[in-house]
Amino acid sequence: MKGTPGSARNPHLRETAVDIAVPFLLLLFSFLFSSIWILMMGKNPLAAYAALLDGAFGSSTAFVNTIKKSIPIAFASFSIIVSMKGNTFNIGAEGQLALGAMGATLAGALIPGLPPLLHIPVCLWAGALFGMAYIAFPTVMHVRRGVDLLVILLLLNNVANYILQYFVLDLFKSDNALVPSSRSILGSAELPYLIGPPHRMTIAILFVLVSAVVLQWYFSKTVAGYEMRAVGLNREAARYAGIPVRRYTGLALFTSGALAGIGGALEVLGNYHCLYTDFSPGFGYDGIPVALLCGSNPILAVIGSIAFGALRNGSLTMQARVGISNEIISVVQGSLILSVASNYIVRYLLNRKKGKEKVHA
Amino acid sequence: MPEWAVVPLILSVIRLSAPMFIAGTGNMYCERVGVLNLGAEGMMVSGAFAAVLGSYLTGSPWIGVLFGMLAGLLAGAIHALVCVEFGGMHAISGLGLTMLCNGIARFLCISIFGSTYSPNVNALQTSQILVGIPVVGRFLSQFSPLIYLGILLGLISWFIVFRTPYGLRMRAVGDDPKTVETAGINVWRLRYSGVLICGALCGIAGSYMSLGQLDRFFDGMISGKGMMAVIAVKMGKWSPGGILGTALLLGLFDALQMRLQVNQTLGLSPELLGMVPYLAGIVVLCFQKGRNARPIALDAAYLRNKYKF
Repeated sequence: MKGTPGSARNPHLRETAVDIAVPFLLLLFSFLFSSIWILMMGKNPLAAYAALLDGAFGSSTAFVNTIKKSIPIAFASFSIIVSMKGNTFNIGAEGQLALGAMGATLAGALIPGLPPLLHIPVCLWAGALFGMAYIAFPTVMHVRRGVDLLVILLLLNNVANYILQYFVLDLFKSDNALVPSSRSILGSAELPYLIGPPHRMTIAILFVLVSAVVLQWYFSKTVAGYEMRAVGLNREAARYAGIPVRRYTGLALFTSGALAGIGGALEVLGNYHCLYTDFSPGFGYDGIPVALLCGSNPILAVIGSIAFGALRNGSLTMQARVGISNEIISVVQGSLILSVASNYIVRYLLNRKKGKEKVHA
Repeated sequence: MPEWAVVPLILSVIRLSAPMFIAGTGNMYCERVGVLNLGAEGMMVSGAFAAVLGSYLTGSPWIGVLFGMLAGLLAGAIHALVCVEFGGMHAISGLGLTMLCNGIARFLCISIFGSTYSPNVNALQTSQILVGIPVVGRFLSQFSPLIYLGILLGLISWFIVFRTPYGLRMRAVGDDPKTVETAGINVWRLRYSGVLICGALCGIAGSYMSLGQLDRFFDGMISGKGMMAVIAVKMGKWSPGGILGTALLLGLFDALQMRLQVNQTLGLSPELLGMVPYLAGIVVLCFQKGRNARPIALDAAYLRNKYKF
């Protein structure tokens, strides 16, 4: 925020302090808000959160599961961060995850005779392509005709859900499975373990780390990344500076779709080895608060994703131990997004308080 | 399609487009005052759940509708607080509101009823009073009284927005809040009222979904109807008549896909047919004309002076 009053000693330090404090204040608010609902059901919120924490980080298995859950969330948040850098908002990460997972399942099951070193990249590319294909139509409509991107993408998320069901239950269904699922991918497409059984952590986490570093490098060290950020910060100024705004918006959206697609692909290649209708409990939507809270910094987004993975993973323990439906997680997230939307007022309050102190001193 | 099948089709088109029309009329107020409302979905969910809860607790469906309206109003108040008072980002707020309301409805449904389905409650599926009217009474009585309420609200809304000073100010504040403030009119009170009316109407639309079409609440029952209402407003050029037309068009696609699912005439799988209404909505959104009716200050925050720093 520009022009903050007070604290003449080191304004930069104070701005940084506010930047760090705001996400924690918002998180605190959303947990307090959710506690009200837990209290209304006659349960103890503190016991619930203790169970949540224990379920997320209490044992090595729990911790690995948290990391596993954080992988698709991380890719969804990268996807949203990239779109935000290009001055748009890709709310369709949930749909692109599903499409990417389908692409990877198809490539993994139908291309025989490849060595793993070739088959895995092919599947990831298939996922990325499906993700991009999915966002192509909204992108063209948004860039060329100025159609409201958010509305199309929210509707397309519903369509993606139907496509996923059609794919799993009809088009590509497995004939000998207890739970309705798609056909399994071949062994050569399965991701190798980084830590073997019983933890079963695959190399998917490496993809997350590499992507975060590459994105950070792209945005801070390359000309194209700099120009894309310029488009995101001020469209008109960027246009005036001769940056092809539409091209960067399109590029950001396509990259965004590809990243979400890869996230879905990794779920299939690393975790399930086939596709279920409910393989994602809303990872794509989890990416939204992560991206917003982390100030669209890919490295911080990895940490944020682990926090949200913990929320997803720990909520199951909370449900089993305290008897609170894990739907409370949606309440936490919803109130968090609402508070992120009003973060301006939080900053205003923080600054006003500091300003007053200075007057008294 | 044989001739005898046309009447049921018309009846189901009207039934399916009613929630989009009522919620769309609400959204019209919201967008007219310059607040984008992607939270219509959430407002409808809270309305749908609260209506069933009210009917379950008291046994009276009308009190249920009142509950639904109040729940929608409450959701609208949250949206208004973030967008009008705090100068927040409209789209993000709407998104958060939808997630929050979905979460609360599911959480309460599971906590109170023990599953994602509520039990059956007293509903308002037909209007038996109208049965006595000759010739058409037979058909008119098949509609929920909430549909008639919706039509009435649509007429009143048209009158308010286009024929009263209040409506004029509302339209002005959506185009240019600064000028309106200079003229000595309270911008924020107008915006609050628009968003709150929107919440109440979306709550009624949600109540209609749970008590007018069905007699229960289940998780995912709104699934995109709120977004359809947003589209209906844009396509309907921010006027009740246009919204009615778009809602009927979208309702027609919904009714057709339902009929095809039941008849299996084309032999398509139900999942493929299910996406037809959404695709229709996307096509409608992409090929609409006359975007110049859009309120100019839509989606732009207008902060009180005291919050500036």
